Amino acid sequence: MKWLKDKLDAQEKHFVSGGKLEKLYPLFEAVHTIHFSTTAVTKIGAHIRDSLDTKRYMIIVVMALLPTMGFGVYNAGLQTQLAGGLSTDTLSSVLQGLKIFLPILLVTFAVGGFWEVIFAVFRGHEINEGFLVSGMLFPLIVPPTIPLWQVALGISFGVVVGKEVFGGTGRNFLNPALTGRAFLFFSYPAYMSGDAVWTLVSVAKDRVVDTFSGATPLAIAAQVEAPNSVVGVLTEQGFSLSNLFWGTYAGSIGETSVFCILLGAALLIATGIGSWRVMVGSVLGGVLMTTVFNVFSGPTNLPFLHLGPLWHLMMGGFMFGIVFMATDPVSAPDLKASKWVYGLLIGILAIIIRTINPAYPEGVMLAILLMNVFAPLIDHVVLQRKVKKRIPNVI
Amino acid sequence: MVDLINIAIKAIFMENMLLAMFLGMCSFLACSRNVKTASGLGAAVIFVMGITVPMNWALNHFLLRTGALAWMGFPNVDLSFLVFITFISTIAAMVQIVEIVMEKYSPALYASLGIFLPLIAVNCSILGASLFMEQRQYGFAEATVFGLSSGFGWFLAIVTMAAIQQKMKYAHVPDGLKGFGINIIITGLMSLAFMAFSGITLF
Repeated sequence: MKWLKDKLDAQEKHFVSGGKLEKLYPLFEAVHTIHFSTTAVTKIGAHIRDSLDTKRYMIIVVMALLPTMGFGVYNAGLQTQLAGGLSTDTLSSVLQGLKIFLPILLVTFAVGGFWEVIFAVFRGHEINEGFLVSGMLFPLIVPPTIPLWQVALGISFGVVVGKEVFGGTGRNFLNPALTGRAFLFFSYPAYMSGDAVWTLVSVAKDRVVDTFSGATPLAIAAQVEAPNSVVGVLTEQGFSLSNLFWGTYAGSIGETSVFCILLGAALLIATGIGSWRVMVGSVLGGVLMTTVFNVFSGPTNLPFLHLGPLWHLMMGGFMFGIVFMATDPVSAPDLKASKWVYGLLIGILAIIIRTINPAYPEGVMLAILLMNVFAPLIDHVVLQRKVKKRIPNVI
Repeated sequence: MVDLINIAIKAIFMENMLLAMFLGMCSFLACSRNVKTASGLGAAVIFVMGITVPMNWALNHFLLRTGALAWMGFPNVDLSFLVFITFISTIAAMVQIVEIVMEKYSPALYASLGIFLPLIAVNCSILGASLFMEQRQYGFAEATVFGLSSGFGWFLAIVTMAAIQQKMKYAHVPDGLKGFGINIIITGLMSLAFMAFSGITLF
């Protein structure tokens, strides 16, 4: 390692101001700080010196995402193999999954990275390590069948309009990965929702197995008619709680396995990177809203309203959203009290949009985006209340 | 009752004057630099809308629409071509009252709103609310609720925008986009998020 550090330090003179490659300093800086902590540190004064800089901070989120990603790759492949009636052993599923996932990941990083570097070079800021996380999250929240040009378009919108026009990581107010996905969702609804997009069918149409439907549990649940119960229909279609918990069903690439997401959540909470207040708040909000629906909706209403909280937590992108998206430290509010409010409202809104908005089968993405918009306001109100409490003490 | 709640929720979230209809953008973009001013303007809009919509409803119902003058003995008179000018005069009068009251009781807010307070008179969302009320043929109670909740939707949007802009003080926006440009982008992103509500049907 010493050898690498010496090599890098020797090259630094070309990149600092006045050097030949001065313009490309952000690139050098990115390579340098990904290996070693920065050389620009305070020498004197009462500062807290900690090795946890933004890069180390973000890399923990990436680590937390790894189980989800690994399982997502396997599951995307598995669903394709199942639909085609092909061999479903682990190796062939993973290979098939890699064939689906790697192009999406590569395009995300190539195109998103391109914008990052362009902005870093021309605006003279450092390459934001936040992109590493956005670039990991984005491929996990798209359906496996997404065309690659849409991946490029979505991540471009997310990075440029969602983040870079505000000056880069830490200055945006919406989660960039979610912004990109919402943009795609509203621009190309046919590619982002419906029954056909969640499983890549690799074989010819007539060879697809008869039992294959491609519908996600949420889509099935939303269409259940009055006399039947949702749980009954889901069970009939082969979905059970344990099946939903482990995640072997069709959906966005990374969202299906609650187990892997919980592993990531454990790491985020243990290291203090992700706010447990937001996560717990969201779960509480979701449970609360589902219970309200369960109790107050009459017998004639949608059976979906009677579905219990546990099912709601297991289905769709709820867990993924609240663990990895809602806890984004940039777009979430900063104060402890506002984190609770923010989390609760995300849970409540997600269930409302999911159950009583026929336009969208899933509500977590939109609920988080909406609360991102309200986050500064929640912070402001909570802060004002605190200030008001203190004023009498001062005077 | 359920009807009225429905109208209120619809006007606040699904058909938000600002973020779904894009009405009343000028003062929204100009007066949203801090939450205090924004909530002052928002409150003024709630007040003006809450009064003018039912007032215009009464004018329209008893004087302007076809056959409205039957109670005076002119069943064939149709004054509906006067709708625009009548609505606008009501609004202008109301705004004048708000201005006088605000100058007297809250001079600081009056000063910080500046020209945008009298400009509420030509705020499209207020005339828009009155015209929606006429077009959708609301009754009196519906019109009142619609006016108040449209105003509240506008209030919510401008206060949220102001909070975001307070956060944006730490942003590093490219020179060409500073001010107006970035505000339009923020508004666009906000209304993208507000799309969450479109399509919800209540009860």
